[in-house]
Order: sequence, then C-alpha cells, then structure tokens
Amino acid sequence: MSKIVRYEKVNKIYAEGTKNAVHALKDVSFSINEGELFCLLGPSGCGKTTLLRSTAGLENISSGKMYYGDVDISTIPPYKRNIGMVFQSFALYPHMTIFENVAYGLRVRKVPNDVVTKKVTEVMELVGLQEELKRNPSPTALSGGQQQRVAIARALVYDPDVLLLDEPLANLDAKLRRYMRAEIRRIQKATNITTIFVTHDQEEAMAVGDRLAVFRKGVVEQIGTSDELYNQPANAFVANFIGKMNFFNSHVVSTSAKSVEVEIDTTGIKIEIPKERTHAEVKNGDEVLIGGRPEHLTVSKEQSKNSIPGKVRIIQHLGSFIRYEVEVKGSISPVTFEIDMNSLQKDIHEGDMVNVSFDSERVAMFSPKGREI
Amino acid sequence: MSRKYSITENGAEKSKLKKFLQKDFSQFIVFAVPMIFLAIFLLYPLAITLVRAFWRPDSFNFKFTGWSLEGFEQFFTTKLYLRSLRNSIVLSVSVTLLTLVIGVPMGYCVARVKIPGKKLLVSLGILPIIMPSFVGAYTWVILLGNKGVLRAAINWFISPFGITIPSIYGMFGMILAMTLTYFPFVFQMSYGAVSSANALLEEAAMLMGAKRSYIMRTITLPLIIPSLGAAALLVFVRAIGNFGIPAVVGGNNYVLPTLISFAYQGDGDINFASTISLINVLITGLVLYVQKYVVAKREYETISATHTDIKLHESLGARLFASIFCLIILIFSLLPQVTIIVMSFFRNWTGLLPVGFTFENYLSIPKNSSKEMFNSFFLSISATVMCAVFGSILAYIAERKKPKGAALLDMSIMAPFILPGTVVSIALLSAFGANSIFKMTGTYAILLISYMIRRTPYVYRSVSANLTQLNPSLEEASTISGATWFYTFRRVSVPLIMPAIISGSVMTLTTLLQELSTTILLYGPKTRTVPIQIYNKVLENNLGQASALSTILLIVVFTIIYGMNSRKGSDVSSALKM
Repeated sequence: MSKIVRYEKVNKIYAEGTKNAVHALKDVSFSINEGELFCLLGPSGCGKTTLLRSTAGLENISSGKMYYGDVDISTIPPYKRNIGMVFQSFALYPHMTIFENVAYGLRVRKVPNDVVTKKVTEVMELVGLQEELKRNPSPTALSGGQQQRVAIARALVYDPDVLLLDEPLANLDAKLRRYMRAEIRRIQKATNITTIFVTHDQEEAMAVGDRLAVFRKGVVEQIGTSDELYNQPANAFVANFIGKMNFFNSHVVSTSAKSVEVEIDTTGIKIEIPKERTHAEVKNGDEVLIGGRPEHLTVSKEQSKNSIPGKVRIIQHLGSFIRYEVEVKGSISPVTFEIDMNSLQKDIHEGDMVNVSFDSERVAMFSPKGREI
Repeated sequence: MSRKYSITENGAEKSKLKKFLQKDFSQFIVFAVPMIFLAIFLLYPLAITLVRAFWRPDSFNFKFTGWSLEGFEQFFTTKLYLRSLRNSIVLSVSVTLLTLVIGVPMGYCVARVKIPGKKLLVSLGILPIIMPSFVGAYTWVILLGNKGVLRAAINWFISPFGITIPSIYGMFGMILAMTLTYFPFVFQMSYGAVSSANALLEEAAMLMGAKRSYIMRTITLPLIIPSLGAAALLVFVRAIGNFGIPAVVGGNNYVLPTLISFAYQGDGDINFASTISLINVLITGLVLYVQKYVVAKREYETISATHTDIKLHESLGARLFASIFCLIILIFSLLPQVTIIVMSFFRNWTGLLPVGFTFENYLSIPKNSSKEMFNSFFLSISATVMCAVFGSILAYIAERKKPKGAALLDMSIMAPFILPGTVVSIALLSAFGANSIFKMTGTYAILLISYMIRRTPYVYRSVSANLTQLNPSLEEASTISGATWFYTFRRVSVPLIMPAIISGSVMTLTTLLQELSTTILLYGPKTRTVPIQIYNKVLENNLGQASALSTILLIVVFTIIYGMNSRKGSDVSSALKM
C-alpha cells in the first residue's frame, strides 16, 4: 500500500555536541504525495542522501518527525518500516542467485514457497528479466543494467509502502543511464509506489521526477515540478543548478507596482523587469543579481537598446544548438557568458567583438545572497 | 623515424644467435637461482622421502630392496601408530573447531559491538607469535598440573557439581594449549573479514525487514566463510604439524610429529620416519584440497567501495556479553606470558606458588647459553635476510613477468607452508643425512637451508599480495623511460613494496627465533639454538632457566614487532594468508 511521506522540522546533526558537529539537515519540512515519484536533488554533501537514509531508518534524526501516512516512523527500526531501497552500488548478494536475491524480502516475511515463486516471477517480468530468471545466475554474472533491474525487483517484490532510490543510475554508463531512467519511471508508474529518488544530476531529476526538491547545505531551497523550477527558480542557486544561468551584478534604479528597473553595474544599461520575475523585495539602490538563461540571450554584431558589448572566446557546435562563450565586462572582472542559439551567425567568429542582448521578459532578478553553488 | 635510434632495422640483419644473445636474460638467471635452490633442497629431498617411504632402502648404504608397502603395513597394523594418527586427527580437528568457536565470535564482537579496549584486543593477534608454543604449553603444566594453583581454584569452584579438570598431560592439555596458541589467527582473520565487509549488503537486508540475527545467518556469515576457511586451514596445518606442545604435555599420547621425531631419534629408522611424514603430508594435502576447492571457490568481492560506517551493536546486553567474553579470553591468553615472567625470577614452581626468589636464572645465561644465543640470532638473522631477498625477487618476477613455470614456482614456494616442520627436516635428512653423499647434518648450512625453505613463503606471499594491489603503470612508466627491469625493481618497486618486505621479514625473524619443530631433528652439538636449550631445560625440569630464556625471547620478539607496528603501512597479517 502506497503512502504519503511527510517530514516535519527534521534536523540531523552528525557528531552532535562535539567540535566537528555537522548540521546535515536543517528544519526540513515537506510532504510527498501518494504514488508520486519525487526527486531529491542537490550537489554532493547537500543532505539529500542523509534525508533518504533517515527515511529508511539507517540514520537516526536528531529532532523532528517523519510520517508514513499517519504513522510517526521517526523511531521505528528500519526492518519494521516496510520500505524498499535500491543502492547506488546495488548491494546484491554475491552468494545468492538472482532468484534468491529477489526472494530475500519474502523469505524474511516467511511467505510460503509457491507464493515466493509467483511473486518473484511477476516482479522479474515487470523489470524485464524473465529470460535471466530462467538461467538464474549469480548477480555477478550480469551486466550493470541487469544488476540494476535485479536490485529494483528485490526492492519491489514485497510491496513496500515507500521505495527509496539512492543515486541508482550513478554506476551505469551514459547511454544506459538515459534508458534506465525511463525504465524506472515506467516501473514506478506501473506499481504506483511512493518513490523517493536521490540524484545530483539535474537533467536526470527533471526527466524522472514528478516533483523535485532542491537541497543545499541541509536546507530545501525549492520544491516543484521541473517546469516550475526551471521557469520560476526561487533563488539564484536554484536558477543556476536547474539548468544554467548567466548573472550580472546590478542595482535597483526605480520600482513601480508592475516592474523594477535595474542598472547593470559599470555598463549603464538599464532593464525593466516585470514584478512576477523579481524574486526579492527591493528598494532603490539595492544590490541585486539579474540572470538570463543561455537560450534567452542572443549575440549579434548590431547594437540594440539593452545590449552589452563583449568578445567571443569560443564557439561550440553542439548539434541542435550553437553555444557562444562571450567575455563581457558586466561587473568588476570580466565574466564568461554562455549563450545558446538555434542557428549559426555566419558573420561572427571567435575573437570578434559582439553585442549580447536579452529578452527583458525572460530575465529574472534575485537577491545577491546565495549565488554560489 | 631517425635511423640513429632505430633498433629493429639493424636487428633484421643480425644472425639468429646474435638476436638470441641480445635478449635480456638477467631476469631468467635471477629467477633460475632460487629455482635451482628449491629443486635441490626441497623437491629432491621430498622425492627421496617418497623413495624411502616406498622402497625402504637400507638405512646405511641406500641399497634398494624393491618396492614395498611394508612401512605402511607396519603403520596401519600397530596400535601405537594408529593411536597417534587418531590423536593427530582428533587434536587438529578439535583445535580447529575450538579456535573457530572462540575466534569468530570474538572477531565479530570486536568489529561490531561498542566495547572498550578494541585496539588492545586487536593487538592480541601478536601473542601467539611472541612465545614458543611449547613454553606456553608448559605454563599450563605449572598452572593446571596436579598441584597447580589454577587447577586448585577451578576445582574448588566446579567440584560441587561433581566434575574436576582432567589431567593436563594428554589430550586435554594439548587441545587447551594449542587452542590458546592458535585462536588469534581466526580472531584476526574474522575480525578483518567482518570489519571490511560491505555494510550496504546488511543495510539492504535490514530494509527488506530482516532482523540482526537473520542478517547474521543469511548474509554476514555466508560472506565471511571463505575467510574462515582460510583461517581454519591455517590453524589445522599448524596444529597437525606442531611438535612442541605434544612433546611437552602430550604424555604418552603421541601425535604424528612427535612420532616422526622419536622414530628418527629413538630408533634411527629414517625410512619409517619418511613413511609417517608421507601420511602426515597426505592428511594436510587433503584438507588443503577441501579448503581450496570447496570453500575458497565461494570467495566474493565484498570489500566495501563506499564509506558507510557499519552500525555497531549498542544495546547493553550485547556490550556486556562482548566485553566479558573478550576479557576472559584476554586473561587466558595472557596467563602463559605472565606465568613465564614470574617463573623466571624463581627457583621452582611445583606447588601452588613459586618458591625461591632469585636472579640466578638470568645471571647464569652468559655462562650456560651464550653459544645458543649467538646461534639463534646468527641463524635467524641470516636466514631472514636471504628470505627477504629471495622472496621479494621471486614474488616480483612471478607476479609481474609471469614466466613459464610460475605456477610450479608458486607451488614449490608455498609447499613448505603446509609441510610440518618435522617433515621438512626428515626430507632434508633423507637427502643430506648421515649416509648421503653430501653429509650436512649438524652444520649451520642445513639449518639455514631448512629455515629458508620453510620461511620464504612469508615474504613471498606478503610481497605478491602487495604487488597485485600496486598499479603496474608505475613500473611501466619507468620501463618506458629506459630503465631495465632490475633498475625498475630497485628504484620503483622495492621502495613501494618495502612495507610488505618488512612485515614478511619480521614474521620470518620472529618465528625463526622460536623455531623448534625443524631444528629439533637437524641441530648438532655446535648448532644448538635457544628454543632447543629451553626445550631441554624443560625436559630437565630446570624451569627457572627455561623461563628466563623464554622471557628474553619474548622481550626481543615483542620489541621487533612493536617497532614494526609503529611503522605505518606494515601489517603482519598479510604474510599469513595463503
């Protein structure tokens, strides 16, 4: 039976009370819907794995509460939580066949033999390993992708309330990784088990998750669908972590009910930003960051109203788009901008002086704090 | 391509012979020397032993009287011999099982339960190699003999239940002394296996709903079985080859090694000694086969790649049980050492307590045992140096160059590892004994050779284990820079494998200082060593002097091992694995 997972002010402090204390989770509160595929995303050391392991009961949280449905599971030992988990290294048992690996959770639950066989067969069909099950080899004889499937089957076979995936694709090569993330989504939708998926790869998270939580330094920065995170990032960190963003140091010139006008430092260029894209309360003279995604900027030889001059350093042909790296004098030191365009500007070459202009409708404004990743 | 630097262009014009001579043969020559050494001093003697066991040539002029199984017939129809065989098997099997019963839980407790003094407990592993095992056995005679203080104490405690401790002389004493001597091997290896096991495998089981005991039964234990198998083999091989303990506390319960010794020294019948040796080797070989093909086959890569700390048991019950269990074992394993040190300051200890405090035991050493001291150190150090050189070069060539015959080399080097010391002695005596062409009995040479044959495996194993973990590209980089294999070996490999050479050598040196089972058959009046002296003093019942000599050995060995352990990166245990 699939369950809602809910966190209430969860804190985790490693080596609490000592000099080396690390505050790994800070007042984490949110909830995950029934049957949802939810991604915990963030750079390494952000606390996402700690939260996952605490959800599993492998770590004890320092304070706060965790619920599966209405049940407070904060202090319930892991073996009573009825969860399935897939580890980054798969953690398959080398001394058992794949059948016995998958059957393990059922054997623990003292399920009768005929039911075990039936359930293992079913789940192996679900993950697409029915042929391998006939040969029933040791997991060490399987390829990485197949081991991954065994690990998923093993976690699903006893109908867990919650499925936890800890960087499940990190040990696979790039092509297989893209294929398996679609597979994981298919299997999750077929079983409809509430699933938490931890990854540091934003593309993976966006492709897999129904919703995502972006973590930084133990704090949840933003929760939303991939579309929301990409188009309405809550702060500069999320903006630059979900996709790429070019930032300009700026300051506020004037504010009105509908928009904020900012001037990019040292250039004198002024831009009006609609209020819904300003992610900070500001007054005149405040320091702010304005940001534009590579695909929302353009380069050309001509000068226009909001353009900034710069020098093309590198032009990369990346298939579906062309990336220009332009060095602009937007702040104290020169900054390299990435600009993605659908078509090649024939008259622009590396080393040329160009003008970078941007779509003021799509420029976002952030408070200057927390820009670093 | 510049003509000046081209090698191949000229080569095509050279004659075949010149081409042949141009090859670098140095490594084959270096390789051949130890091979020849092994052929002469190991394979040839073993072959002669076989010949003696089956053809029974006349002991004095090596005249063949034809193929016969007479020796085996005699062995398998005589009650005394059959009883020794049974004793040997019963003893080795029970010691192996008991060391597992003590060592495995202890390894698990130290690795997985939150208890104090873990480091102290781990260093217990050096205790068995710190004192000659027969001295340990003798301390049990002092403590548990007819008037022993411990016997009195324990009997007072258990006699109300109608049981008393059996006599220390006999099977009980042998099993007790050997178990306490060898359990640290099992402890060390199971501790290593349990603490390096992949924690995720157990976490996965826990998430699937399994409790600790179920995980232990289905995951933890099955995964460390190969390590336990290796440890059990190590103990079995040592137990069945041990001469000192049965000689001291066996009473009239002979085992194969003591039987070999008495067949040779008592009756002078080397043919019959060869027969017993062969039977001894066959048993060991059978056990080795079982270990290699039944247990080791199930070896898995379980070393953890991630750095998840394994959760320790923290419940009060587990901690209390583990602490008491480990403490009791710690006390029992330290008792012999303490007893020996106390005894060395007294004239006698036949009753409850030692009597006659004195320093005479130590003061008389220069007068009585200075020659033995010199022999022991001279022989052990020279043998160790040669073992270190031979062992590391052989390991390097076998591991890196993979020459033809590397498997044979590996087998020849490792064979003495499983051959009981008395068997190696009998083999050497068969080939180079009183009536052979090259008479070597009673010389330093034969002792040095036997030491080298028996101890080269320590350095060899330690170095090859280290080399397999060393990235070959480090050496390839040196070769590409133009260095010959020997230059590379000297300047790149040796510095990198130094910790392994040192740990292997320390293992060699410390065990050689206490060597009894080979020396006992090979020594002559000029080549008596300290362990021989101690053994004879024990037989003469001169306990004070025996203890004083043992204490000195103990201090020397402890200092060496302590010195090495404080060097980073050296680890004795790598020399123990097979």
